[in-house]
Amino acid sequence: MSGKLNIVLAALLVGCALSVVNGRYQARHLVIESERLQQQVRQLDIDWAQLQLDQSKLGKGERIEQIAGADLNMTPLTTARTQYLMEGAP
Amino acid sequence: MKRGAHGVNGSRVAASKGVAFSTSPVLAVGLPNWRSRLVLFALFAAFVALAARALWLQGMSTQFLQQQGKSRYERTLELPATRGKITDRNGQVLASSLPVKAVWAIPEDVLKAPPEKLAELARLLDMPEADVRKKLDSDRTFVYLKRQVEMDVIARIEKLDIGGLGTRKEYKRFYPQGEVMTHLVGFTNVEDVGQESMELAQQITLMGVPGSRRVIKDRLGRIVEDLGMFREPHDGKDLVLSVDSKLQYIAFTSIKNAVEKYNAKAGAAVVLDVRTGEVLALANWPSYNPNDRSRLTGEQLRNRVITDTFEPGSTLKPFTVALALETRRVTPDTVFDVSPGYIVVGGHRIRDSHVHGQLTVSGIIQKSSNVGAVKISQMIPAQEMWELYTKSGFGQAPRVGFPGAVAGRVRPYKSWRPVEYANMSFGHGLSVSLLQLARSYMIFARGGDIIPLSFAKVNEEPAGQQVISPRTAAQIRTMLESVVSPQGTASKAQVAGYRVGGKTGTAQKIIDGRYSQSNYVGSFVGIAPLSKPRFIIAVMVDDPKGAVHTGGGVAAPTFAALAASALRADNIPPDSPVTDIIIPENPLEESM
Repeated sequence: MSGKLNIVLAALLVGCALSVVNGRYQARHLVIESERLQQQVRQLDIDWAQLQLDQSKLGKGERIEQIAGADLNMTPLTTARTQYLMEGAP
Repeated sequence: MKRGAHGVNGSRVAASKGVAFSTSPVLAVGLPNWRSRLVLFALFAAFVALAARALWLQGMSTQFLQQQGKSRYERTLELPATRGKITDRNGQVLASSLPVKAVWAIPEDVLKAPPEKLAELARLLDMPEADVRKKLDSDRTFVYLKRQVEMDVIARIEKLDIGGLGTRKEYKRFYPQGEVMTHLVGFTNVEDVGQESMELAQQITLMGVPGSRRVIKDRLGRIVEDLGMFREPHDGKDLVLSVDSKLQYIAFTSIKNAVEKYNAKAGAAVVLDVRTGEVLALANWPSYNPNDRSRLTGEQLRNRVITDTFEPGSTLKPFTVALALETRRVTPDTVFDVSPGYIVVGGHRIRDSHVHGQLTVSGIIQKSSNVGAVKISQMIPAQEMWELYTKSGFGQAPRVGFPGAVAGRVRPYKSWRPVEYANMSFGHGLSVSLLQLARSYMIFARGGDIIPLSFAKVNEEPAGQQVISPRTAAQIRTMLESVVSPQGTASKAQVAGYRVGGKTGTAQKIIDGRYSQSNYVGSFVGIAPLSKPRFIIAVMVDDPKGAVHTGGGVAAPTFAALAASALRADNIPPDSPVTDIIIPENPLEESM
């Protein structure tokens, strides 16, 4: 009787040990994956900052005025040739 | 077996004689008892030593040993923290940090590389090869070749595969708006520490604090276990300024054009929001590009709006008049005799540039008569005048959290001599910064109260401090509008479609302690639109060298250009049907 119990307990012990090994392995994989994703977050943050910079650089008043004036032959607006629509006016 | 048997047999073998080996008398050497005890004790002592050692290792020095163990498999990772961004009120980025790398070298090792590789390295670093070699020609074991190299260049340098060359991660600050915004935003040095303007003023909040954490890495360098934070990293806080990029660009181009057109030494402009006290634009010319500061001069760095003071001249006359109106000593229609165009105070003669006979109080402002201003001031005790100046913010540095904000100079009223007080009534003998001057006009633009200024975005309207009554403020606004009319001194400040008001000022510069006869500062402070004040715009043109040098000649048209664009850009509906501006052929010039 006691011999059989020993065998069952030994098998159980081995099973537990293997599951610990497996759990550890899974955990490491998840850590690696999470690190990779965090790295991606940092990279995306940098890209976002770069794009914001580019937007600001391209949206610079000087550049817009230059393109509008030289390339598109646009002229600045004046009050004299603007029709204003007033809210509540007849 | 007995000993007797032994001798009887006479055999040659002891055993055969029946004597056991252990009892053989030959062996019965009398060893002293203590020897075996000694061995036993020595063995016991050895075991005790082992046990003590084990106890020592396990119990007493565990921490040290575990530490040593950890240091053999744990790694500490630096967690970088970025400096906060600076944006304008609409979220447009004005300053932002991106990761770059510094290139360093161990000179001895790098010099072993083939010369063509070094030449290529110098080309990639955008440096003459001689400079690179000069840096490498050193006894030190570590030299920086170049700092803040952008990432794409780093990738190409790494491909060269030069031994002894390394990189270190750092940040570089980029300023997309360049020279337009630089006097407001400032810049940082290579260590990412603020050096000027807002970058300097807000260093503590913008700055990021790098952290670190401990991890276990595997053979391939991947992190397999996170052992927790060592020090939490803190990114710097983003800063939202009150400035509006669009208005800033308008102000910058207006002032730049004015300096070129009037052949001036410098110019500055500031736009304030009347409702919130926010600084919407602050422009200076000459300016500089913060992304390339290799040829920077003090002239370019100077923020004339905040750190320079000048004698404001006639722009202070409305304060003299406001005080007289407030204390009911005069009404707008009280008539003063300003002939014959001069007045003698304490032996000094103060003159007008044009001789006017009789002028009402409104007329004194419109025509900018010095004699009129002096006559009004003679009705007011000096102390009251000093109190109004102080309440309007003159003589105290504005609390705006901007480095280098100056206080200007207003001497205590007890030391004013009569001629000095007379001079002050038209803005001489005291000094102000353009920012102070613009802020002081709040009392006219608002209902007589003054509010603090802010360089950061304001979400709720600040509470004002009443200086003059709303009635007086309205009366002064009417007078300021008359200045900007074909009959006033600032006819060139008219803006088509909008009612605007303001006051010109021309002051002689003080050079070597004396008033110069050829160097002037022309200024204009205006409010737009007058039906519902939105902006206070102050313009200063320093040392114009052309035919025109008065505030009405150089600063007023700059104001008009700036105000027209600003009103349109801010979608403010026109409040005047007048679209044809009449500028007289010989506009009236103010007195100095």
